[in-house]
Amino acid sequence: MNTRPIALGVRRGWAEHVHSMRNRRELLAGLGGTVAVFVLMVRWQGGHDAQGTHVSEGLLLAAGFVAFCVFSTGLMNLAMMIAADREEGTLLRLRTVPGGVPAYVVGRAVSVLLQIVTYVVLMLVAGMALAGLELPSDPARWLTLLWVLALGTLAVVPFGAVLGTLLPGPRNAASILSLPVMGLMVVSGVLFPVTSLPEPVQWIAQAFPLYWEGLGLRSAFLPDAMLAGEIGGSWRPLETAGMLGAWAAAGLLVAPVLLLRATRRESGARLAARRERRAAQGAF
Amino acid sequence: MTEPVIRTRDLRMRYGRTEVLRGVDLEVGAGEVAALLGPNGAGKTTTIEILEGFRRRSSGEARVLGADPGTGGAAWRARLGIVLQDWQDHPRWGVRQLLAHIAAFYDRPRDPDELLAVMGLTAQAGQAVARLSGGQRRRLDVALGIVGRPEVLFLDEPTAGFDPRARREFHDLVGRLAREDGMTILLTTHDLAEAERLADRIAILVRGEVTVSGTPSGLASIVQAPSEVRWLQDGAPRTERTPDPSRLAYELHRRFGGPVPGLEIRRPTLEQSYLNLVGAEPGAAGRDAAAVAERTAA
Repeated sequence: MNTRPIALGVRRGWAEHVHSMRNRRELLAGLGGTVAVFVLMVRWQGGHDAQGTHVSEGLLLAAGFVAFCVFSTGLMNLAMMIAADREEGTLLRLRTVPGGVPAYVVGRAVSVLLQIVTYVVLMLVAGMALAGLELPSDPARWLTLLWVLALGTLAVVPFGAVLGTLLPGPRNAASILSLPVMGLMVVSGVLFPVTSLPEPVQWIAQAFPLYWEGLGLRSAFLPDAMLAGEIGGSWRPLETAGMLGAWAAAGLLVAPVLLLRATRRESGARLAARRERRAAQGAF
Repeated sequence: MTEPVIRTRDLRMRYGRTEVLRGVDLEVGAGEVAALLGPNGAGKTTTIEILEGFRRRSSGEARVLGADPGTGGAAWRARLGIVLQDWQDHPRWGVRQLLAHIAAFYDRPRDPDELLAVMGLTAQAGQAVARLSGGQRRRLDVALGIVGRPEVLFLDEPTAGFDPRARREFHDLVGRLAREDGMTILLTTHDLAEAERLADRIAILVRGEVTVSGTPSGLASIVQAPSEVRWLQDGAPRTERTPDPSRLAYELHRRFGGPVPGLEIRRPTLEQSYLNLVGAEPGAAGRDAAAVAERTAA
């Protein structure tokens, strides 16, 4: 097996991550803004206990915020990155190179994973340092945190890639995805207990990975005293692993096929036509 | 007899009801620089993208380096260099960083630093790609296209948007690549002067068909736009267009019984011949075959 594309893909992913970390605007508006909002919200809610418990609302919010961050980065950011790569011709460039397409796929996966890790680590560290966030103390809960983050990332990243191949461009990607993603955030229990929502909405929420990521992270962050606010009064770790695993498996089956198809469809004429359309829309 | 490096036979491409290639026959030998010349919408980009393996043809035969571009694998692709019309990729990467990255995909790449020197981009090596000027960006595109030591280089409208100086530098570069590296080059252009200057062989593509092909010097005689014969008849200027100016001159000589006053024969230049050829095609200009393809696909 030729491992060169994989090695070059990992190198690409690292290089892309370094570029985004060096981009001041991206750093301030993306990473800095997210971490700042996280710290402010955890601080703001940190003084209140969740109803009927001695558990800080800040901790509840932190679990939901981290889950949403993983979800939106894996889904929206990746979709926008891929749409931008198509528009700029990066996909096409790598199509002209032997082994370029697998290297591209590996590279984008690596860069988005690094982005997620950076976001989560910085949020947790800043939360601890600036907002008194208390992280899990026993190893079992850390293990839960790690597998939920890993499986939660795997559940959304392939679908982010699929959306990136289907959406017409990076700007359209943001405008098309924002509303449904925000809607999911509201119904998935990352801001407030999902049991406070009507039952049909709870079923809808449970069909998507965001709910299960949030549940899994709450099971790592929160004591069992908080189970009263969860569906069935349980953390349901098996169901969480099963649902996130099913999303990951489905995504990993579909994404490579669609990515390869999208890459095969790229051509100079398509690139030029797309750019002409953008120019006609006054996007420049 | 050795097989041509690039060969098409009756190459056809259809998008719905629109036929953008109508039986293109083309041959490019090893080490030749060939130009596909034609107005917008002639099918140049479609032809070159089929040969690059980016588009599936509707019918006909296409061979590049002995392989069908539609099924060429990674090893075949490694023998090609491709420079497209309109690349703006990897804007945040450094110039040298990107060149070294692409070089790493090949078994025997050129040295990125040497290549940057050849392209006159050493001073920009550490600069972000997005900060390059149009001409510099194009030279980087060529560097990326040849870093894997390709045997065949495809250049699609290589100097579109260049100023005259950048265009001359680019022409020198293509000449060097062909002379010194023995690379087979197929370029598309709608600029006759560029084709004349760069190519050993020119194929004029009009509405999806190669109407004429040959060496630049041979094309004018092949195309044969009518010559213009001028003389003075009773002191008044007369002009006649004819495909056979020698015969008319002879007849005039007989009619006048000696030297013809003010006789002047203007033979068509290659440019006149070309314009004559493509200008006769209604609606050719401004209608891009590839754009038709994209609209149809959409």
